[in-house]
Amino acid sequence: MSSGCPPQSPAVAKSEVSVEGECPLLAATFAYWDNILGPRVRHIWVPKGDQLMFLSDGEVTFLANHTLNGEILRSAECGAVDVKFFVLAEKGVIIVSLIFDGELKGDKNTCALSIILPQTELAFYLPLHTICVERLKHVIRKGRIWMQKVASTYRHLALACTEEQGYNIISVLSLEIVPIMELLTSMKTHSVPEDIDIKDTVLNDDDIGDSCHEDFLHKAISSHLQTCGCSIVVGSNPEKINKIVRTLCLFLTPAERKCSRLCRADDSFKYDTGLFVQGLLKDSTGSFVLPFRQVLYSPYPTTHIDVDINTVKQMPPCHEHTYNQRRYMRSELSALWKTDSEDDIPPDTVIHTDETFTPDLNIFQDVMHKDTLVKSFIIEVFMLKPGLSLRSTYLAQFLLLLHRKALTLLKYIEDETQKGKKPFRSLRNLKTDLDLMVEGDLNIVMAFAEKLRAGLHSFVFGKPFYTSMQERDVLTSF
Amino acid sequence: MIGSPDVVAFAKEDEYGQTSPDLWPLPEEFSVPLYPLADSNPWAKTSYAKFTKDFILISEFSEQVGPQPLLTIPDDPKVCGTFDLNYFSLRIMSVDYQASFVGHPPGTGYPRLSFVEDSRVVLGDSKEGAFAYVHHLTLYDLEARGFVRPFCMAYVAADEKKIMLQFQELSLRFSQASECLKAGNRRAFAKELQRKLRDLEYTHSVLQREEGLQREAGPQSMYSAHAVEKANELANVEKSIFEHRDLLKQISSYHRRPRRDPHAVTCQKCVDECLSECEELLNKYAKIAYPCGYGEKAGKGEGHPRGQGEDDDEEEEGVKRKLSYTPQLIKAKSAKCFDKRLKTLQELCDKTFYEATVELLKETERSFRGDLCYLYTRRLDKALQRKQRVTTFLFEEDLNDDDEDELGTLRPFCAVNHAVDNYVLLNPPPIVLAPEPHELDALERPEHLDPASETSITLESELGLGESHLESSPSDQTLETQESSEETKGSFSSDKSGVGLAEIQQSLVSMKSEAPDPDPDSDLTPDPNHNLERESSSEEMETTAGEDEGENGGDQTPMSLLEVVSELEANREEECEGVSGSELLVPIDTACCMVQEGFLYEASAPEAVPHLCQNSHLQPSQTLVVNQEPQALLPLQDDYTVGSPCSESPATGLELPSGLLGDAVSRTSAEDGSDCTMSASTGSDQTASPLGYGALVTLRQRKKAGQGALRFVRQYPFAIQALWCLLSGRTLVVLGADEGRVRRLVAALALFVPAPGKCGERVQAWLSCPFTLTDLQRWKLIGLQRVASPLGSSMLYSLSRYSRYISILDADHKTLRCPPYRGQLLANIADHRTYIRRGSTYFLHLQSTLCHLAAKAFLFTFTHHLHLPVSSTEGLEVVESRRRCFLQEQLGLSEEDSQILLYLSQLITQQYLQPTGSSAAAPSFSFNYTTSILYKI
Repeated sequence: MSSGCPPQSPAVAKSEVSVEGECPLLAATFAYWDNILGPRVRHIWVPKGDQLMFLSDGEVTFLANHTLNGEILRSAECGAVDVKFFVLAEKGVIIVSLIFDGELKGDKNTCALSIILPQTELAFYLPLHTICVERLKHVIRKGRIWMQKVASTYRHLALACTEEQGYNIISVLSLEIVPIMELLTSMKTHSVPEDIDIKDTVLNDDDIGDSCHEDFLHKAISSHLQTCGCSIVVGSNPEKINKIVRTLCLFLTPAERKCSRLCRADDSFKYDTGLFVQGLLKDSTGSFVLPFRQVLYSPYPTTHIDVDINTVKQMPPCHEHTYNQRRYMRSELSALWKTDSEDDIPPDTVIHTDETFTPDLNIFQDVMHKDTLVKSFIIEVFMLKPGLSLRSTYLAQFLLLLHRKALTLLKYIEDETQKGKKPFRSLRNLKTDLDLMVEGDLNIVMAFAEKLRAGLHSFVFGKPFYTSMQERDVLTSF
Repeated sequence: MIGSPDVVAFAKEDEYGQTSPDLWPLPEEFSVPLYPLADSNPWAKTSYAKFTKDFILISEFSEQVGPQPLLTIPDDPKVCGTFDLNYFSLRIMSVDYQASFVGHPPGTGYPRLSFVEDSRVVLGDSKEGAFAYVHHLTLYDLEARGFVRPFCMAYVAADEKKIMLQFQELSLRFSQASECLKAGNRRAFAKELQRKLRDLEYTHSVLQREEGLQREAGPQSMYSAHAVEKANELANVEKSIFEHRDLLKQISSYHRRPRRDPHAVTCQKCVDECLSECEELLNKYAKIAYPCGYGEKAGKGEGHPRGQGEDDDEEEEGVKRKLSYTPQLIKAKSAKCFDKRLKTLQELCDKTFYEATVELLKETERSFRGDLCYLYTRRLDKALQRKQRVTTFLFEEDLNDDDEDELGTLRPFCAVNHAVDNYVLLNPPPIVLAPEPHELDALERPEHLDPASETSITLESELGLGESHLESSPSDQTLETQESSEETKGSFSSDKSGVGLAEIQQSLVSMKSEAPDPDPDSDLTPDPNHNLERESSSEEMETTAGEDEGENGGDQTPMSLLEVVSELEANREEECEGVSGSELLVPIDTACCMVQEGFLYEASAPEAVPHLCQNSHLQPSQTLVVNQEPQALLPLQDDYTVGSPCSESPATGLELPSGLLGDAVSRTSAEDGSDCTMSASTGSDQTASPLGYGALVTLRQRKKAGQGALRFVRQYPFAIQALWCLLSGRTLVVLGADEGRVRRLVAALALFVPAPGKCGERVQAWLSCPFTLTDLQRWKLIGLQRVASPLGSSMLYSLSRYSRYISILDADHKTLRCPPYRGQLLANIADHRTYIRRGSTYFLHLQSTLCHLAAKAFLFTFTHHLHLPVSSTEGLEVVESRRRCFLQEQLGLSEEDSQILLYLSQLITQQYLQPTGSSAAAPSFSFNYTTSILYKI
């Protein structure tokens, strides 16, 4: 700890965040392990307004300190962000803590960024855990850079550290804490239910094309499945949007449905990274601006469906998407690293560029690959009489088939490559053996398999920077 | 949106791979890897963990030595490898999870027990590649600081995602184990308190006596220093008694406190029983814990180590007590003192409960073993299968509704009380004041046994440990030998004995085409030739009747089909109202299946069986021993129909007109197990069979059979023909001299038998006697022994005789005689050039394909307009052609492929109309006159 730092005031800085609706989040905290004073809480964020239960500042502080218990033993590699998840029945809360190292007040410290929810929200929160963690992880990366920069700057200038620096870090962390509060609040009211009544979907139409053009429906579902079940549905009519959202969610698992959000009728939600399906309402001008960065940071490529003009666009496949995402992340972090002053902290939505990487903004492309799986399903399911459970049963059979095909594909590759020890060279055999000769079918099954085994696309399709077009050339010339 | 013109203007071609040197690069520790490990090897994420597979670790925070590992499950040092358990215990136990006061709070008279709720934590050590679900709990120990001993049970895995994705399941399992352990601990704690109270009372009585003696011995109103010391000691003992009484009261009130943990797993039975035990305990305690009275009475037993001051009520149990525990003279110390070694986990917990907990944890470890993607898919698989029960009977293993893998069906149960439902003996033992013989009284009477020790033996079964467990991975251990197969060397047409080449698609109307036995009163003759003749005539009648049936079959119909359907539906609704199994059935449109009348007839067919019993004259020949598999001894399905010559039931016209002898023999073998002998195994590999031998066929068995199936497909170029026979309902007979080989083949081919039944009732793995026509309806896959004896010749003769109904796979000569298959539907699962290497992979592929077939059959069955006349003038022919058109044009199926769907559709319809009590729908007996071809390798 640098000399000259006055002891910190026991009062913990607190921000009240205005959130529309009932926020299930009780508080968020940023704590660190002071080498002299032990665990200290630096900042608390609490939602303003209605809450499910009340925690006093003392309790929040106690819990925040609690998250650092045992971290004196931490031996993680530099830069690692570890996640701890507590369910403390004694206190009736769950705490999600991200533990990382950062430079505060001139010293290396172990820090914890945490969010606290009531224990009763466990089932609600668990499906959203990965989304929250991934988003917080990234803001921590930015926070660490900023902490480092502040520390080195002040070291360079031989100035004593002040509380002002803390504020700076907090402002970076707030970039994600506040949206996560909003996300959880919106999911509380608008998440897609685990069980969807098929009557609320397009699949209940008497005949195909009644409420949705056949080709559009086919393309939407096919692309939705090819992009790992990740889609955004935009339009001007909330009912229409939500019908498509529910229809797409039929093809997701119950847990994935809990990570999907319906469209709000009066005013649109913001786009949220990580949700599987989300309905977004266009504004009065008939447009909806998607934040490039957030869309790119989605764990899977996304299908963009416009129900007003019946268009379906999709992002490149997983391996390309992941590659782009990582390049963008590196670019963003690098840009932050090179920022000279606090004022230069780039707003969250600005696209950062540097000399080495300029992202292709035209990330949504036409759906190139036709499939037979979804096409025949769409045709056949409408042959069954609506209003009964026939269509639901047939849908379950279809999903079972896809899941099994994905597992078979995974196992096939596992066998061929001895669990990844050898490169995979027999894509053509795979397609023949598993009856996946049609490119769209392969994409769908690969997307399912990717969700089971992350990184599969990159592994199978070789160098991840091949574009889809290049990949197709490679495959055809195989 | 992105992509709109205003944004596209910023876009430019990506310059992948072109980098320029960066003067101020971002250090890697602040960046993200461009090529993470998962990209180069998705399986490598967990490879840097120092342990080989997941395990459960129980650790404690010892007040003497700090955090320490106690045991691992499985208890195999190889599992943990070089992983530092001590360090990891330190890490997981260093969480201050209690956050509650324990011990002796200021202002209270006595020490308080702290009833702390369990905490659950997921944490990891990214450097070590170890992640853990940690379940913290507190046990009570009279000699521990604050009477508490902090423990934790951790599920340690290398995959963090696996833990978080299954958090709720893990939490539930460990909560069960924790509650079980804590319940046992409370019992042990209460026992210990009782013993301590007895010791204290005895000590009190001795001190009191000594103090009295000293007082009497000394001068009046003068107290010696020794007497004062005794008096103080006495006061300490009394204080200690009160403290222990209070502790006993506290531990007894455990169940009355409100639970703060909404995720705690409590068993109501357990609570009720504990409450009643507590009442009992408190009553006893009230009687024995009156120090003065005890002392007064104890004074009478001068010099006797055992206090004899119990009141009259106590004396009833006195004999037992006297023998069970001898109070000790102890130093009058406060209950807070601890000067002994700390108890082990086993000592802290009642034996029964401890063992139950360990078993529960073992079961937990087993059920979470394996790769996440397989566990996850399995769960999804089950959830989806539950939504399509109408077709799962075709190719899926039986879904166990009580399966605890599914979170939704997890039943909170107490490991010990759970067994009470099944075993009377397994009541949780009441708190026995007697200590364990080995612990306190070696002179204990040998006949006194702790009930806990008696019950512990059966706990495994209580906990359901005999249930099947998840496999760690469907992967095989070794690569299957890739056997190259030769192309078919030649095939030639044979068996021209059929009525002709008329390729009548009997299956479409098979049930209609079958006529009743024309000669119901004919005698049953033991002469096999005679029988054969009779059967032959039956066949002829069958053929001709089948043709006639189309014309006057309607006469046999008792009422309109719609009425039958409605009636059946109504009956079933009445019967099954509220039963979950019928939930799917109600909304499904029954009218879709109406045209397939045969099923309706079969629905009432069981009535025919008693009728046959009355009319059949069983001849000596009926005692003919049928050597068959045990599963054949299972009760026949209620929908199994045998010939009923003059039955008045509506099913008359559709019953199987098989020979009476055959029927009788079959029935005898099926209904009277004593007449059957088990197939003699001749050193063959019985385990090769996937069949349950009367037990349920499990997924594991089916996976194993996948290896055999792949080998079959690779080895036999005509495998596709055999598979088509099985899938289209044509009985396949595997003939061979070597039982092992035949069994293995049958085991492999059984995967392709639609609706094999829960126990594989439709498969006869090994038969060493001639089969009858009836058997052909019952068994769709038969392993038949080739023998050289006269019996063998008759068997071969029967094979030849029934060749129009069956296909014959000769395992010895590697030939197959069956009708040709020219479809494409099965090409993908019967390609002998497949690159699929492992049986488990092939099994997955097979599952997909069969699932696809089942879906198509479902579609065909329940597509409304296909099966109903559009107008009243529309005849059956039109409907028939519409169905055929659907199969061929809509689904793009060839003639042979259509037969598969038709057969599956029939089974679905039948299952739908008769869902209750039949695990395997009785297959319809159909045949066609397509000439069989002999295929050779």
